[in-house]
Order: sequence, then C-alpha cells, then structure tokens
Amino acid sequence: MEIDRHDSRTRNQLRPLACSRNILNRAHGSARWSQGDTIVMAAVYGPKAGIRKNENPEKACIEVIWKPRTDQVGKAEKEYEMILKRTLQSICVLTINPNTTTTVILQVVNDDGSVLPCAINASCAALVDAGIPLKHLAVAICCALAGSGSVILDPTKLEEQKMEAFTYLVFPNSVLSVLPEGSLHVDGEPMEHAIITSVTHGVISVDDYLYCLERGHAASAKISDFLRRSLQS
Amino acid sequence: MDGKPLTSPASFIDQMVVPGDVVLDLSSMANQTIKLGGGLRQDSDAISVMKAGKLKFSRPNKYWVESSQKRYVPCVEDTVLGVVVDSKADNFLVDIKGPALAFLPVLAFEGGTRRNIPKFEVGSLLYVRVVKASAGMNPELSCTDASGKAAEFGILKDGYMFETSTGVSRMLLSSPTCPVLEALGKKLSFEIAVGLNGRVWVNAGSTSMIILVANAIMSSESLSGTKQKIMVENLLRRFQ
Repeated sequence: MEIDRHDSRTRNQLRPLACSRNILNRAHGSARWSQGDTIVMAAVYGPKAGIRKNENPEKACIEVIWKPRTDQVGKAEKEYEMILKRTLQSICVLTINPNTTTTVILQVVNDDGSVLPCAINASCAALVDAGIPLKHLAVAICCALAGSGSVILDPTKLEEQKMEAFTYLVFPNSVLSVLPEGSLHVDGEPMEHAIITSVTHGVISVDDYLYCLERGHAASAKISDFLRRSLQS
Repeated sequence: MDGKPLTSPASFIDQMVVPGDVVLDLSSMANQTIKLGGGLRQDSDAISVMKAGKLKFSRPNKYWVESSQKRYVPCVEDTVLGVVVDSKADNFLVDIKGPALAFLPVLAFEGGTRRNIPKFEVGSLLYVRVVKASAGMNPELSCTDASGKAAEFGILKDGYMFETSTGVSRMLLSSPTCPVLEALGKKLSFEIAVGLNGRVWVNAGSTSMIILVANAIMSSESLSGTKQKIMVENLLRRFQ
C-alpha cells in the first residue's frame, strides 16, 4: 500500500544528509549534521581533568548539555540529555582517561522532525573530530508507524505528529574487518544484530516494532556509509 | 553493510579507517609480537580502531593511526610547550593540552638544587620534555634532556604563542623541512619553537613579521606543498 508523504518521498527514503566537521574554532571537536531541514550542531570539549560528583572516578565521565532552539530548558531537554549520555557512554572507551570529563553540547538549529537521531549522529561525528577514543560509531534513525503495519523512515515534524507511534533507533555502524564475515560476536550474538538505544513514543505492537527494527537496521547501513565517506574526507 | 572479508592486514595500511574497524587478526598472523601506537586497541584476538585517521605501519611490527586533533595525548620523549598554571612545594603544575595537568619537578633543571629553584609566574611559557606519561597518572616533565643538560629547554620570553592542531606540529617538525617554513626562512629571519602538543611560539625582529609567520603557519594546515609556497609568496609580496 503506497503511503502519500507530503514531501513526495517513498516510505524508505531518507532526507538528504549533510555533515561538516571542525566548524567551531574554540571547541575541541565540533560537527553540524542535517537531515533535510532538521539541523543540529554538536560541540565537544575535553577530556578535561576533574569529574562530577557521584560519578565513578575510575572511568571517564560524559556530560551532555542540550540547548533547544527557543532557549527554554524543560523536562524534554533533560530526557534527551539522559538518553544521549547513556548512548554516548556505550560507544566511548571509558577506561582510557579515568577521572576526566568530556562535555558534549548540542544546539538545535532547526527542528523538523527526528531531532534526537540527528543529535546523536551529530555528537558521534563531533566525538570523532575531537579524537575521543570510541569502540565504534553510532548511527541513529527514526521510524514511524503509519497505520496498518506500514513503516516510514525519517519522518518530518508534520508526519511525526500525525503518526500513531514512532521510535528512535540507534545502531552501531557497519565496520570493515579483516576477520571472516560473521565472526564478530559479543556474548554469542552477531554484531550485525546489535542495537544501542531505542526510544518509542505512542502505542506500537510487538510485530510492528520488530518490523521497524528491520527497516531501521537496513537504513542505518546507508547512514553508516555516508558517515564513513564524510569522515574520510 | 557487510564486513568485507579481507585476508591480509596490508589492505588497510595507508587507508583511512573509522572507529570500529577491525584491522588486524592476531590469530592469523605469524609474528605475534606487535607494537600498537595511538588509536588502536586490543580486543582479545582482534585489533580494532579507536580514532578515525590513516592506519600506518612501520617495519618490523609497529602499527598506529595517524590523525590530527586539537588536544594532545602525552607520550614519553615528546617535546611540548606548556603554560604554568600553579606552583607547589615540589612541582610546578603545567598545562600541556592533555587530559590532565602535568607536573614539572622543581629540581628538573640543569644544576638544579633546593637553593636555586627557578621562579615561574603563572602564565609563563615553557619548552619542556615529557618524561613519564601513563594512563590515569599526571604526566611528568623535565627541563633537561636525557643527559641532564639544559639543551634549549626552559622559559620562552617575548615572542607570541598560538595554538594549532597536532597534525600541523608534526608537519612543522618533519624532515626535510616543510615547504611553509622553508619559504618563510628564505626571506625572513625568525625564531620558532614547536611543541608536539599543537602549540607554536614565534619570535622575530618586528611585530608585523611575527604576525606574518603565525598567520602563514595557521593557514598552511590543509594546503599541499606547492600551495603553501604560493600562499607564503603572496603574503610576503603584500608586506615587503
């Protein structure tokens, strides 16, 4: 069943991606990521000596500050900060610089749907720009459930508001490896099936969710390729 | 999307790699003693990349990822430019743009005794050598070379210090001399100290020459050899 998207994309088509790094002079790493009209800038400072209270001094600490476009920080922003902090903690190698703090500051330049995945992609590119040691990269995608089990990727703000449910998914990037295919295993599961973060809004059935995971995973490969090309230039 | 099965590590050498790429498989390599430099980590039998950059190899068994950053990772025997932040009874605390402040022992000078401790003000610029650098500990510095002589280490007075990336520092210290320094050196006389942590200090006869040298170095980061020479010639032509 063909869904009519108001910007005439197909169901699986992503908006044009653009990424530029090293855009801020004083930040140790910075990146600007845009998906269509949604633009987020990320700046990374660190690692700097010292650690926040209640944090483990044997590991590096990651601090996230989210600045929305209209400068009113509320609960939604705190939730984004917490999700981002957990996601970035799982991709950074935290044991290399113990007792240090790395600060990631996100500025939403424009929000036209799927702003959290855009922010995760931007902060990952900024961490690479700053030279923070990472286990692998994170690629994020938003999948929206458009009634009767069909899934659209990368919805705009209008589409997000109309859909009954949408989910933000973060996957590790696809890696090039000298090992024979299928041998990268973590705890017995192949790396290809890994997922880092999943945030769901709305009501979604288990089958629909698994279908979203599948579509999202396929799309993450395209974003992963784009990220690799942009990091190599 | 699929990890391409490659049989030899030579395929990744001198290629750009991103974090997560597995570049070496220890179980399939004959000579199993390998030295890993910056940007690589060991995950049981697989060596994977931590920082994006170009994978380099040097015979017989050294692998590392070369990349250019604004922050510095302290390594032993590097010469860096540090800024004094504080002085304690036994050490000076020096900022070298790394994850932690570095300690410069009060006695680490040529002929240094408890009676002639140098007095450095906060903010002084020092040219020092890294003596100890391990994970989790503050690096230790020294103002002498390995044999105990002063050898140009110490405070840098006058002049102008600016910050660039570590890649530019390595380019300035490479041999043969990099094109931008060669072109500047043919027409101007100036003194320069390059720290591997991305700090560069320039001193020359007049302020305009200092600014010219600093600007030329800062804009040479992304230029190739011939473009650097052209850029320097343009700058010199406008000022002389």
